[in-house]
Amino acid sequence: MSTLRPIEGARIGFVHVSIVVGLVILVSSWVFVLGWDRQPSFSFFSTETAGRAWGFIQDLVGVGRTSEPAYAQLSEWSRTARLAYDTLAMSVLAIMIAALGALATFMLGARNVMGGGGLPAGVTFGLVRATWAFARAVPELVWALLAVFVFSPGILPGAIALAIHNYGVLSKLAAEVVEGMDTRPVEALRSAGAGRRKALIYGVLPQVLPRFMTYLLYRWEVVIRTTIVVGFVAAGGLGMEFRLAMSNFHYTTVSLVLMWYLVLVLGVDTASAGLRRLAR
Amino acid sequence: MRSEPVEMTVLRDQPRLFESRRVLTLILMGALAWSLLNVGWRDGVLHAGGLAALRDMGGALLTPDLSGEVLAKLAGSVWRTLAYAFAGLSLALVIGFPLGLIASGVLRADSGRRDPMRWFARLLLAGLRSVHELVWAWLFVAAVGLFPMAAVLALALPYGGILGRVFAELFQDVPDGPLRALRSAGASETQVFWHGRLPFVLSDALSYMFYRLECGIRSATVLSFVGLGGLGFHIQVALADLAYSRAWTFILGLIVMIALVEAWSSALRKRVTS
Repeated sequence: MSTLRPIEGARIGFVHVSIVVGLVILVSSWVFVLGWDRQPSFSFFSTETAGRAWGFIQDLVGVGRTSEPAYAQLSEWSRTARLAYDTLAMSVLAIMIAALGALATFMLGARNVMGGGGLPAGVTFGLVRATWAFARAVPELVWALLAVFVFSPGILPGAIALAIHNYGVLSKLAAEVVEGMDTRPVEALRSAGAGRRKALIYGVLPQVLPRFMTYLLYRWEVVIRTTIVVGFVAAGGLGMEFRLAMSNFHYTTVSLVLMWYLVLVLGVDTASAGLRRLAR
Repeated sequence: MRSEPVEMTVLRDQPRLFESRRVLTLILMGALAWSLLNVGWRDGVLHAGGLAALRDMGGALLTPDLSGEVLAKLAGSVWRTLAYAFAGLSLALVIGFPLGLIASGVLRADSGRRDPMRWFARLLLAGLRSVHELVWAWLFVAAVGLFPMAAVLALALPYGGILGRVFAELFQDVPDGPLRALRSAGASETQVFWHGRLPFVLSDALSYMFYRLECGIRSATVLSFVGLGGLGFHIQVALADLAYSRAWTFILGLIVMIALVEAWSSALRKRVTS
């Protein structure tokens, strides 16, 4: 078989090696997780674990506590409403900064726009792409840990951290849209005498912007879920409250924060679906 | 002469389209302004000494800590992060594939949107993915202790929710032609799934799994913040010591790991799809 299709044979070789390597990593991962890695004194698959988990669920609900659970008190809801409002503002600020950054640079990282522009264009392309990869590879939480050293506490450091990561994501997605788009409008503009810059503005932007809006709104849905994580370290919004409640063993407040998140996530998903309809 | 009516309809269509986009632009500008108003500008934007910290961080990026002790820790935590990501993702597949299959409703010809099984699977998937993996991890660790399995489960639950939704969409979007051919040859819906839908979505599903592996490595890094000893844990400890150079070593290790996975996946995808 392989002598009949030598090229096919070579391709399958790489795929086979990949499958074997993947399986080896997979099996050793499970061996590591279940056996070799540090474990507490009792087994994970035991009645001890089940009992602890059940006790924790009771804590979250507030079973056996004399005081009323936080999520049943109106005053607790109104106290945390301010934090939910801040969290929403953080998510909007983050996605807007990310979008502005992406809009400013996405053309510079599109292969078909920058290709054939000589050495300066090539260097710009490489640098811009590397910046995106760097911004994207570092998780939001790590950016937040760094941002708290620079910005004063509040929603800003969290928003900046979310913005940097999503700037990398949105720019790459926008550049991919440019690379996969219909080039005929640009060619038509060029042949009608439009300069390079004008051809890009009138030929590329109208095609790319609707898709960009869709991506932006999808990323907003991701960002609102992630605000809780940057809030842990960036001293803003519901994430901060979650951290404090966990540290002080106020587990019914933890439940309250999670309920707020359910409200926020559902609200943002609905709003984003509505706005996506406008973008079409 | 003939082109006139066409032009007329184009002209009539345009203002409406323009209107909805203009509304969207206004909403977005308003949202930006509103969010900017909520920043506490009066207390000052920068930390006292914030600029100095930024300068130190930038300088440290050029001089990461490459001592033997740190590199040994890096190797250990890279492996731990990779292991959590692989184990978590494989468990997510076990959760997401059957739930996605039920949620897509493709196994039964008469399955409507109101099929209770389908509705329940969709709700379960949405619930799983609405809680962030770090929150799952913290809840698990608080509940049962510092088990590596807590990290794996924390990754597997939200990723199972995401994979399930994506699989459901892929299964539904298979073009109808080949499926009808199978049905007219007498295949049951289950056979149509195994021989029609599954082969069709395999390459898309594979490339999506690789993208998720990249995300999974990032998530596994973040997960270890709750004390589970991966890359994120070491980044956190280094930053608490204000050892920026050591923190960058671990961050750069993460970036290299993600770049390698990306290169592997694109090489593999090129060979599978072409």
